[in-house]
Amino acid sequence: MFSSLSTFIRNVLTIFWKDLRVWLRQPSTVAATIVPPLAFLLVEALGAAAVGRSPVALVVQDTGVKGAQMAQIIHNADVFRITDANAQQARVLINNLDVVAIITIPPGFTRRVDAHEPATIDVTVNNLNLDFTNDIRRSVPDAITQFYQAQGSASPIKVTMNEQDLRSQDVSLLQFSVLPTIGLLLMIGGLITGGLATAREWEAQTIKELLLSPATSGAIIVGKVLAGFLTTFTLGLLVFLLADLLGWTRPQGVYWLTTLLIIALVSLFSSGLGVAIGALLRRIQPVIAISINVALYLFFLAGGIAVLAFEPLWLQNIAAFIPLTYGNHALQMAVFYASADQLGRDITVLSLSALSALALGILSMRRGLVR
Amino acid sequence: MLGEPAVEERTGAADMQAPPSLAQGPLYTLRVIRACMKKDIRTALTERVFTIISVFVPVNVLILMSLFVLGGSHAPTAVVMYDTGPLARQFYTAMNNAHSFSLQKTSAAQAEQMIRAGQIVAVVTIPADFDARVRANQPVQVGVQINNLNTDFTNDIRRAVPLSITTFYAKAFPDVVTITPAEHDFYSQDTDYVPYLAVSILVVGLMIGGLLQSGTASAREWEHETIKELLLSPASRWAIVAGKMLAACVMSLASTVVVLLVLIFIIGVYPAHWDEVIGFNLLFLLIFIAFGTLLGTLLKNRQPVTALSFGIAIPLFFLSGAFGPISFDTPATQFLAQLFPVYYAIVLEQHAFHNFRLNTLGTGGNVLVICAYALGLLLLTTWTLRRATVSH
Repeated sequence: MFSSLSTFIRNVLTIFWKDLRVWLRQPSTVAATIVPPLAFLLVEALGAAAVGRSPVALVVQDTGVKGAQMAQIIHNADVFRITDANAQQARVLINNLDVVAIITIPPGFTRRVDAHEPATIDVTVNNLNLDFTNDIRRSVPDAITQFYQAQGSASPIKVTMNEQDLRSQDVSLLQFSVLPTIGLLLMIGGLITGGLATAREWEAQTIKELLLSPATSGAIIVGKVLAGFLTTFTLGLLVFLLADLLGWTRPQGVYWLTTLLIIALVSLFSSGLGVAIGALLRRIQPVIAISINVALYLFFLAGGIAVLAFEPLWLQNIAAFIPLTYGNHALQMAVFYASADQLGRDITVLSLSALSALALGILSMRRGLVR
Repeated sequence: MLGEPAVEERTGAADMQAPPSLAQGPLYTLRVIRACMKKDIRTALTERVFTIISVFVPVNVLILMSLFVLGGSHAPTAVVMYDTGPLARQFYTAMNNAHSFSLQKTSAAQAEQMIRAGQIVAVVTIPADFDARVRANQPVQVGVQINNLNTDFTNDIRRAVPLSITTFYAKAFPDVVTITPAEHDFYSQDTDYVPYLAVSILVVGLMIGGLLQSGTASAREWEHETIKELLLSPASRWAIVAGKMLAACVMSLASTVVVLLVLIFIIGVYPAHWDEVIGFNLLFLLIFIAFGTLLGTLLKNRQPVTALSFGIAIPLFFLSGAFGPISFDTPATQFLAQLFPVYYAIVLEQHAFHNFRLNTLGTGGNVLVICAYALGLLLLTTWTLRRATVSH
């Protein structure tokens, strides 16, 4: 019993070291795995500053107090990137696509407001897509509401918003995007590393020797998954530490452990799935193509570029069947809210998914043995 | 060697053999191009799984991104109406017309359960004395509970509620709330987010398809070492490159046609300029195929070529103004985007489909930039292949 266990471990370690060495000899594949998610993070970081703050030109043609107040509120609103301009300059700016809209406080604005006459704020908007257009459509009335609120008890708008946040702190778009991107890296890394290590055995026809050797298919699979797991976990951890250094992710105390556990479980799941795909397809090219597709599907369906709670129920229901959804949830809870909310569920789902992937890999390998 | 094609078949060398007198003639060059093209198409068709996947990747990305953009534009929100008077109902209507919410009326308990379960992101509570207080011109607070997961989405709600309040007042009490926005639109109709984004995704589809087909075809020659025979043959380098690129073009066209069909018949985006759609897309394919050939020649291995083809495409897509004009973005993003042809391709594609003008270069200017990239990449690819002869 002890002897067979030690043989099993020796076989696992042999396969593990062999695959690790092969992986290290292919820096271009390592780069191809890690560069895209890093590039994606960089793009997100660069673009995050512009999200939710549309560039607009502000034209103040009114010289009265109310016009100045309104202009000040628009300046302070933190929803625009404002360029003060006259009408002609603003026209040039919008024609050159430097601004998405021109907000004009027309002459006579103060007089009309004081006289309780209809007073419009003109908004010329480049409505080429609803994302930008709706931001402007929401922001200008928001400024008008603030204008009235600033009048205190004299304000004619008596309805106000009493906001209560469900969570203790807001999380910026960039911070929020970092965790799914790390998830994407873990999925691509594990799938490609595990898949290639397995499919290569068939392409190089070394699988014959492996399957004819006394090593069990379980030991072969576990060794391969272990190699894929270690490389994927290391890459994921490095990127996570980089994000932590940049201040994007800051788990506290014991939640570092939770974070590491989740990264490990996602790595294990992706490596296991990679090995299973490799054993099923047995060709390197389809393995890469399918692995990247699978990773993208899991990334998107787990809410990679959105917030699942904002999606329709049927999409949320689909996401419930995606293991990465639970990885993202557990990471969000640990990193942003120092919370273990539903951690047991998340760990169970990820562990079961990893085990299922391992079982699928062993099954595929056995099929290879029969053939 | 069972199942392995003969060397001549693999390299297309049989078609290239020619008497010395013909070796430099145009007919011979055409034969070389045809032979290389035929060989690469045949090889691609033997790798069916890979070819099918590469054809459908852009459609996959299109579907997945559209699903999430479609859902994300309206925040699922529960409204607890303790007051069902006419003003409260008018306020509900104002929220419904804010283009920001997907509303459903629920009880307080249901709303609490739904927001905790992550099924909705906000609960708006209209108090029992809403109508009475508004009529009496007394302060009244509308409760807004937000699942503040991410500021981008949360701020949309934070702005949409005041929008609803102002709209409500402007309609219910036009003589009290006199300040209103008067909107003037550049275009006669709004373009929804998905039809806009889908056109940008077509470019990324062309990029992935072009890079994959040409990159793997080039790298395959190095992996199988058939490049030796190609380079030692009397065929000119550029004829070999042209043949391989033409083959990749034929294969990539399949992917382009699939995305175009989905775009037109499923998403319903009809091109404003058909001639531009055909011309521009062929031009973009040329660039991406030239870049793929370069990548394959440089990396000499299909694994990193395939991984990078997918890997480059997604970040470049996000960088290059896929979601709106790049000039609305940060200066750093603008600078980086303008370094890559994908940006100019998206600008031209949006013009071809929606007649949008997304930068100040004009259609001709953008086409010129793309042509310059194409020429540069072609020269670089031929030069790299020439250099590769020496080092191999």
